[in-house]
Amino acid sequence: MFHPKKPSGMNSHERGMCVQGDSGLVLTTDPKPRLRWTVELHERFVDAVTQLGGPDKATPKTIMRVMGVKGLTLYHLKSHLQKFRLGKQPHKEFNDHSIKDGKRASALELQRSSASSSAMIGRSMNEMQMEVQRRLHEQLEVQRHLQLRIEAQGKYMQAMLEKACQTLAGESMVLHNSSGGGYHSHKTPSSNMPNSMNSIGGGGAPFVKDFGSSSPLNFPSFQDLNIYGSADQLDLHPTLDRPSLSLDSYHLPSNNNSNNSHDNTGFGKKRPSSFVTGGSGKNPLLWSADDLPDHGHEQIHTPEMVDSISVDIYETKPAPALHGGGGGDDQTEKNLQKPLKSHRHDEHLFQQAG
Amino acid sequence: MALANDVDDVTMMEFSGHSTTAADADEFDGGCCDWSDWSPVVDWDAVPGSGLDGFHDLMESMLEDGTGPHPHHLPPQWCDSPPSVHDATNDREGDGTDGHDFKGLRLVHLLLAAAEALSGKGENRELARVILVRLKELVSPASGGGGTNMERLAGHFTDALQGLLEGARAAGQGGGGKHSIGGRPHREEVCYNQTEVLVAFHLLQDMSPYVKFGHFTANQAILEAVGHERRVHVVDYDIMEGVQWASLMQALVSQKGGRPSPHLRITALSRAGSGRRWTPTVQDTGRRLAAYAKSVGQPFSFHQCRLDPDKTFPPAVLKLVPGEALVFNCMLHLPHSAYHTPGSVASFLSGARALSPRLVTLAEEEVGLGGGGVGFMGGFMDSLQHYSAVYDSLEAGFPMPDRARALVERVFLGPRIAGTLARMHRGRPGEEEDGSGKVGSWGEWLGAEGYRPGRVSFSNHCQAKLLVGLFNDGYRVEEVAGNRLVLGWKSRRLLSASIWTSSSDPDSLD
Repeated sequence: MFHPKKPSGMNSHERGMCVQGDSGLVLTTDPKPRLRWTVELHERFVDAVTQLGGPDKATPKTIMRVMGVKGLTLYHLKSHLQKFRLGKQPHKEFNDHSIKDGKRASALELQRSSASSSAMIGRSMNEMQMEVQRRLHEQLEVQRHLQLRIEAQGKYMQAMLEKACQTLAGESMVLHNSSGGGYHSHKTPSSNMPNSMNSIGGGGAPFVKDFGSSSPLNFPSFQDLNIYGSADQLDLHPTLDRPSLSLDSYHLPSNNNSNNSHDNTGFGKKRPSSFVTGGSGKNPLLWSADDLPDHGHEQIHTPEMVDSISVDIYETKPAPALHGGGGGDDQTEKNLQKPLKSHRHDEHLFQQAG
Repeated sequence: MALANDVDDVTMMEFSGHSTTAADADEFDGGCCDWSDWSPVVDWDAVPGSGLDGFHDLMESMLEDGTGPHPHHLPPQWCDSPPSVHDATNDREGDGTDGHDFKGLRLVHLLLAAAEALSGKGENRELARVILVRLKELVSPASGGGGTNMERLAGHFTDALQGLLEGARAAGQGGGGKHSIGGRPHREEVCYNQTEVLVAFHLLQDMSPYVKFGHFTANQAILEAVGHERRVHVVDYDIMEGVQWASLMQALVSQKGGRPSPHLRITALSRAGSGRRWTPTVQDTGRRLAAYAKSVGQPFSFHQCRLDPDKTFPPAVLKLVPGEALVFNCMLHLPHSAYHTPGSVASFLSGARALSPRLVTLAEEEVGLGGGGVGFMGGFMDSLQHYSAVYDSLEAGFPMPDRARALVERVFLGPRIAGTLARMHRGRPGEEEDGSGKVGSWGEWLGAEGYRPGRVSFSNHCQAKLLVGLFNDGYRVEEVAGNRLVLGWKSRRLLSASIWTSSSDPDSLD
C-alpha cells in the first residue's frame, strides 16, 4: 500500500508529504466549495474501493460507509468513483489534485508541470522510464537469485559427494595433507601393485593432484590436498622427491612414457601403461605425473582436482585393489572438493556455503 | 596385431564401390601403393547428406591457422603404413600446429569414409575395418587426455564405429543383440561406478552451463507458473540425482513477498531393470531431496512411481491431490541418463496430456533431429558436429588438456556417442522402434500433440544469459518461438529448453 509519507520511486503517486489535518477534508475557498481530493483522501478512497472488491463492485454508498469520512457526500464519491473507474490512471490524479502543497519534491513539480500541458507525452515517458527501471530492477533480482540457486545446487551436489565418499571410506586409508604446490610421491609398494593408484572398481581411491601455483589455469594452489593410499601398500612421502625416482617406480610396467606425454602443454602426462587399455579413449583416471612447470620433470601426481576454493575436504578412501594387468580400466577417483571453474568464473559465485 | 592379415585383405580389395572418391582411382591393384591415388580431399559433393556447410565449419575450426590439407603428405604415409605400424610417431612429429591441423582433418576424412562404408546399402565392412585400423593408429597415442580435442573425439567415434562393425558382424553371425549403449560390452558399461559418474557429473556442471541451463530454465518457468499456489506436484520423468529440485526448492522458499512456500510434492518415475548401475536409485534421491528440503524449510513429500518394463506411462497411477498444480518435467539432456526410447518419452508426454498439467517443461539435445541430412551419414555428420562443439565448449572452460575433462568425456560423451551411432545405424530415420512417430524434436512433437507453447519470461531469458555468461563468451542463448531457449556454442545449437501448457489452461505464464 502506498504510504504517503514515504516517497516510492516507481510510483507516480509519489508525492511528498500531504499531511492532512485530522479533520479530514480540504475544501477550496471557491465560492462554491469543491472537495479537494488530496492524496491521503484519495488513498483512503482507493483502500475502501479495494476492500469492497474493486471499482466495479464498489458503490458510492458503500464506499462512504467504509471510508467513514465526515463531510463526504454521495455526490463527491459518485463523481470521483466515476473518474476512477474510467481512467484508473495515476497520472490523472496529478492534474486533479491540489498543486499548491508546498511540500512536494521538486522533481515532481517538474513532472507535473509538463504533465499538465502535455499529459499524454508525459505519461508515456513516465511509463517508459518506469519500464526501464523495472527491467533493471528485475535483472538485478535475477542475478541475485541466480547466485543463490547455483549455490543451492552446489550444496546439494556436495552433500551427495560427501555421502558417496563416506560410503567408500570403509577401506583403510591414510590421509596426508600437502601444502599447495607440493605433491606426494609414492614408493612402489612391495606388492604387485605398481603404484598407488587404486582402481575404482575396487572401491575407488581418490587422489588429489596438485597443479602447483604456476598453473596456467590460474588456480590457486591447493591448501588442502589429501592423498590417500592404503597403509599397507604405500609409503607416502610428504616432501618433494626427486621425480625420476618416483617416476621409475611408477612406470616400471611401462616405458612408453613418450607415448603418453603430450607436448602441447606444460604438463607431461604419464600413465603407467599397465593401465592403458588398448589405446582406446578409455584411459584410466589415473592422472599421473604432472609437472611443476619450473621443474620440467615429470612427476607423478595423483589426479588433479583443481580446487579454487579451499574448503571442506573430502576424506576418502583409496581402495587397495590394483590391477596390474591392465585388463580392466583402472581408475582413480578424484577427490572432488569444489567445483572446478575456468578462470573466467566469478569465484564468489561458486562459493559453497559450507 | 591384426594388421598383417589386413594387409592381405587389403590387396584383395576393390574400391570400386567407393563413392567418396568419385573420380579417383577406385581400383586397387596389386601392392599397397596405389593409395597415392586416393586423394585425401574427399569429394564432398558425392557424400550424401546435406549438412555440408556446417561441415566446412567443422573443418575450419580444426585448421587453426587456416592452412589447407596437403595432399602430398598423405600418400607416402599410406604407402609406408601397411607393413609398419608405427606411423604414429610420424604423424605426431607433425610439426606444431600444421601437423595437428592436418591430422585433425585427416581424422575427419577417415571417420567419414568409415561411416560411409558402414552405411546404407553399399555397406562395405572390409573397407570400414581397414579404415578403422588406420584411425586407431592415429588416435591411440593421443587418446585419453592427451591430444587435441579432435583426436580424442575421433577416438570416441572410432570406438563407436568399431562397435558398429563388430555388432554388425555379430549380428550377421546371429550373435546377440546389441546393448542400447553400444555393441561392445567389454568397453562400455564396465567400470562406471557410481562415484566416478557422480564426480564426472559434478565436474561437468562446473565446466559448462549445460546441465544448469535446462534445469534453471525449467525451474524459473515452474516458479512463475505455480510458485504462488498452495500445493505443487511435479512429475519427473527421469529424476537422476535430483539436483534440479534443490535449486527449485531454494527458489520457492525465497520468493518475494514473504508468502509461505507451497507444499512441493515430487513423483519420480522409476523403471524396473533399467540397467543403470551408476546412478542413484530413486529412493536414495528421494531421501536426499527430503533432507535438503528440511534443511531449507520447504514442505516436501516424495513419491515413486514404478513403471512397467514396457515403460509406458499410465496416468492413472499418479496419486493426485485436488487443488494442486500439476507440472510435468522431462529433462532429456543429461548426458549420463540411460537411453530413453522415443516410445517411452512419448507415452509419458501424452499421458501427461490426459491430466492437463499446468506446465510441461522439456529439455532436449539438439542433435539427430534430422536437419543434417538423411541416412546414417547425415546423422553421423550431425553427431560429429555436435560433439565437436561440445568438446570445444568444454575445452573453453578448461583450456588445458586435463584429466577432469578427459574423465567427463570418457564417462559421458564416449558412451553417448557410441549409443547414438548404434541407434542411428540400427534404425532407419523416421521408423522409430515403437512407432511413436517422432521425427523432429520433442518440442515439435509436443506442439503437434496439442500442447500450447508457454512463454519464456524476461526473467527467465535474463537468467539464462547471465548463467552462460559465467562460463564463456562462446556460449549463446537464443529465444526461439517465444517458448524455447536454446543454448548454443558458437554456431552450433547444443540443447534447448522449452515450456508448454495444456490448452485448457489460460495462459498462466507471466
